[in-house]
Amino acid sequence: MMAARSTPQNECEAALYREFEHTGDTGIELAAPTRGELFRRAAIAMGSMLVGRETVSAKQERELTVEADTDPDLMHDLLAELLNLFVVESFIWRDAIVKEDGRTLRITLRGEQFDSERHDFRGEIKAVTYHQLSVEQAADGWHARIIFDI
Amino acid sequence: MQLIKLNDHLWEIPQHGAMLVSGRIYANSRMIEELRDDPALTQVANVACLPGIVGHSLAMPDIHWGYGFPIGGVAAVDAANGVISPGGVGYDINCGVRLATTNLEFKSVEPRRERLADALFAKIPAGVGSEGAIPGLDRKELKQVVTEGAQWALRNGYATRRDLDHTEEGGRLAGANPDRVSERAYQRGAKQIGTLGSGNHFLEVSRVDQIYDRDLAEAFGLREGCVTLLIHSGSRGLGHQTCDDYLKVVGASMARYEIRLPDRQLAAAPISSPEGQAYLGAMAAAANFAWCNRQVMMHLSQEAMMEALSVSPGELGFALVYDVCHNIAKFEEHIVNHRKRLVCVHRKGATRAFGPGHPVLPEALRDHGQPVLIPGDMGRYSFVVAGLETAMRETFGSSCHGAGRVMSRHRAKAEARGRDLRSELEAVGVTVRAHTRAGVAEEMPAAYKDVAEVVQVMEAAGVTRTVARLKPFIVIKG
Repeated sequence: MMAARSTPQNECEAALYREFEHTGDTGIELAAPTRGELFRRAAIAMGSMLVGRETVSAKQERELTVEADTDPDLMHDLLAELLNLFVVESFIWRDAIVKEDGRTLRITLRGEQFDSERHDFRGEIKAVTYHQLSVEQAADGWHARIIFDI
Repeated sequence: MQLIKLNDHLWEIPQHGAMLVSGRIYANSRMIEELRDDPALTQVANVACLPGIVGHSLAMPDIHWGYGFPIGGVAAVDAANGVISPGGVGYDINCGVRLATTNLEFKSVEPRRERLADALFAKIPAGVGSEGAIPGLDRKELKQVVTEGAQWALRNGYATRRDLDHTEEGGRLAGANPDRVSERAYQRGAKQIGTLGSGNHFLEVSRVDQIYDRDLAEAFGLREGCVTLLIHSGSRGLGHQTCDDYLKVVGASMARYEIRLPDRQLAAAPISSPEGQAYLGAMAAAANFAWCNRQVMMHLSQEAMMEALSVSPGELGFALVYDVCHNIAKFEEHIVNHRKRLVCVHRKGATRAFGPGHPVLPEALRDHGQPVLIPGDMGRYSFVVAGLETAMRETFGSSCHGAGRVMSRHRAKAEARGRDLRSELEAVGVTVRAHTRAGVAEEMPAAYKDVAEVVQVMEAAGVTRTVARLKPFIVIKG
């Protein structure tokens, strides 16, 4: 496995996630002090991979609930729901609040309707893959690794 | 990973561990050195663990690290006892390429290329947000699209009968079941017929700049200096969601069928199982959506060319050479161990390349072999090759599908920082219009292998014969 490198877009995003080298698609690694914060960062990371975060305003809120048996499934399903929100409902977010309830996540997204004239669209994400998908707790906190099909 | 050299362009991963067959990789010595530590080789070995796999787990010379299957992977499984793997087809079901020729000469179009680039860019949306290329389709109409494929385009004035004859499967894969496509997949695809998408998808206006085989070029309608149109796109959100849906369905069924695989993304179910049959029905539906999508895009491009260049349909002389898919699973008859068998061929980033005389080829092409379209990067060239008999014996009638990436998107963006890639491409005669800045950076020429080297390996192996080279002068990116 090749070494991870800092994500270039801006300092704020670099603190949230790092892209690692994957030849065909795009892989990211995330770290957070808590499980809930890890999912929150993953949600924001996906939003900023779709649209430059600095161009998005927190004008509206959307709520989603996701439930799954394992943390990797929860991560996949959360991000798949968010991708659907962007593709089908054209909603893009810049921030999120996550509430944990066992195997259920309740997420509140803050953002607005996507406007191709105003927003810095960075390219489509086709899907959240299961390839090497991981969500793990370590001594220094929580870590996730996600590969997207681009 | 142990690799045994079989000859100058073929390498073997011996059967070991849970592998049911050996792995075989088409590559030259230089390519194989670059691959030695690449996860793509492990993926070739992982694919060899699929129940019912026959022959070898194959990889074409554009092999690179994918998810589950390597990109450039080919696996044939026994149709009666094998499994179907949604990950072996990929998210972009029937991602593919089509090439059309015109009567136009490069030297007459070149002075008006800015105008043509603007017209194509305006006519072909990327498909993000509310924009659509054609009026949004209701559910009933979408179900017709996924059932009929390019035939829907013919019924609605976006195609000719000849277009369908020159499309793999006639632009309609049998067995599509619109009721196996989820509500969410329909929602994602509803406004995306005739849209390009982003990532490595593109629309390119090129000129034929070199002919390697005059007879085949003539049979395919390719003349030196003539202007061509190349479109690379797939099944858009409808296909992406279908794959995601069935990875879950099939993944959940694996314990019941006692299938154990080394990568969750390889999830597979017996072809004969309810889950396998449901996926095959949905996959065919998504494949049909993709053929309709590329057909509509070609029609819109034709309109843009006529408007921008002020030419009549007769003067334009638009003619589809062929349309190939490179992410698909199809039932085909192949000789395995000296016996004809019905197998399900998974091609993940690999193209069907049937040799001369194959009965599924249209009459006009049957004596010559199937045209195979191999796009390169946007700064160099693409190739048209023809399938040969060796492909039928060695690769389940398959060839490479493109140049293959050598640089991650992340690294390409970093390399592009501070550079004006559009000006660099303009300096080598390529006008680029792109919906995103990242789209150009991630797809910069240096991010790809030299496609000429990939095509040379396939020719040296006797799998395909090189027919012509195309040089782009307009590139539209999503």
